[in-house]
Amino acid sequence: MRSPQPTSPPAARPVVATIRAPAKYRLRLAQLLSDKPVIWALAGRDLKSRYKQSALGPAWVVFQPFALLVAFTVGFHSVAHVQTQGVPYILFALTGLVVWTYFQAVTMAAVGSLVNNYPLVRWTACPRIALPLATLISNLPSFAIPAAAAVIAAGATGFLAIQALLLPLLFLWLVVLVAAVAIFMSAITVRARDVLSVTPFLLQVMLFLSPVGYGTSQLSPVLRAVISINPLTGLIEAWRWSLLGINPSTAAVVISLALTSAGVVVAWWLFRSLEISMADDI
Amino acid sequence: MTSETVDQDCIEPVVVAERLSKTYRLGELLRLEATLRTVARRAVARPLLEALHDVSFEAYTGECFGIVGGNGSGKSTLLQILAGITPPTSGTMSVRGSVLPMLAVGAGFHHELTGRENSFLYGTILGLDRRVIESKLADIAAFAELERHFDTPLKRYSVGMQSRLCFAIAMLFPANVYCFDEVLAVVDGEFKERCLAEVRALAARGATVFFISHDLEQVGTLCDRVMWLQDGEPREVGDPESVIERYSRHVTGVPAT
Repeated sequence: MRSPQPTSPPAARPVVATIRAPAKYRLRLAQLLSDKPVIWALAGRDLKSRYKQSALGPAWVVFQPFALLVAFTVGFHSVAHVQTQGVPYILFALTGLVVWTYFQAVTMAAVGSLVNNYPLVRWTACPRIALPLATLISNLPSFAIPAAAAVIAAGATGFLAIQALLLPLLFLWLVVLVAAVAIFMSAITVRARDVLSVTPFLLQVMLFLSPVGYGTSQLSPVLRAVISINPLTGLIEAWRWSLLGINPSTAAVVISLALTSAGVVVAWWLFRSLEISMADDI
Repeated sequence: MTSETVDQDCIEPVVVAERLSKTYRLGELLRLEATLRTVARRAVARPLLEALHDVSFEAYTGECFGIVGGNGSGKSTLLQILAGITPPTSGTMSVRGSVLPMLAVGAGFHHELTGRENSFLYGTILGLDRRVIESKLADIAAFAELERHFDTPLKRYSVGMQSRLCFAIAMLFPANVYCFDEVLAVVDGEFKERCLAEVRALAARGATVFFISHDLEQVGTLCDRVMWLQDGEPREVGDPESVIERYSRHVTGVPAT
């Protein structure tokens, strides 16, 4: 739907005709490439506007994982005595928080990314897929800060080993999983605002059902199987293996990878079928 | 939307609408009462509204095409389809070249960003290259007469100033087809005159301009052809003077002489 734009006066150039017609969908994968500048521009907009007229501004990105880290240390370490297989608890929890903080930040931002941009969806030809995808970029600080802290801490305490070279791949996995959630949730919100009400609550429940502040090794086999259905479980365990050398449960990693791949396909399919009428449904 | 390439032919119209229709459902998409009714198998179908019915027309390069009609007659829906924002329910519309829709003042602007940042954002959303936008920024500020305010957040702008910025962007960013939906309603007289002259200049340079306004005098002086939409159906398409005359007679209830 977005044709190349002229840079000179519009008369003397070969002109492409676009046909507007009834269709079941129109979004194409190739469009993601041409939408790249829009995705970055929207991400820039969100980053610039997020901390305007705020006293602490970007300091909040540091505060949130730090507060959770303190709470986990009290709750899981001091009270519940969670076992961490020889790794200092703070480092153990911090690694889980690398995945969680980014997952939570993007989900919260993406859920409303379309409905909060009502004028853009209703009155401009802005590619809709760019709105949830922009939240992946604008929330990167929520990943980068705990990730940098975890890598430095793991290096300083001598846990970093050769498998740390796989971290870029694990980051890619994280981004793909989070993208699937962002695309899926934002699209449903256009039709049903219920998602806006349910997301904060769902995230709270998920934080307890994900091995962020604890490990799965000491859980009963049944509980371990239940927790493994969560796509974050295998991912967090893979991060702990890569950074801290803690052996993951193969089943959890396989399930998580499978759910991530299936999730991306389902999310794309859903977004594509809802995208065409978003201006009318929003 | 499916797109296909068509060879350029100078005589061919830029925009061709063929039997366009657009149907909406009235009422709310979802609500608790309706959900409960569905669960209880007592669902009530929402009534349909034909916002556009069987609309066909052609518009050519260098033409300024006016659309008049009452509220809810389908004018904006037509331009939304033209801009690729929403698909028609049936029929097709073929558009040659790029479309710059200006359907609501400040759609796409962010109130926390400055005029400069917003121009960048809007240009990118329109699909323009970074360098093209950069080369136009000074002109936009000058055209909108907002040079002093260009680095101030948009939330400090008056509505008129926002319209000025919006219009300046539309005037200076290149496109083949421009759509203006009642965007000159809140700007002052001097700026309005300048915009109208610029709209004429766009058409003179070979662009196709679609212009919606309830200011019939404006439409009459600006447009080469006018379409009168009533309840989603084109009642007349033709030369501005006669269409507007019959339309305003219809509005005021004065019978034809």
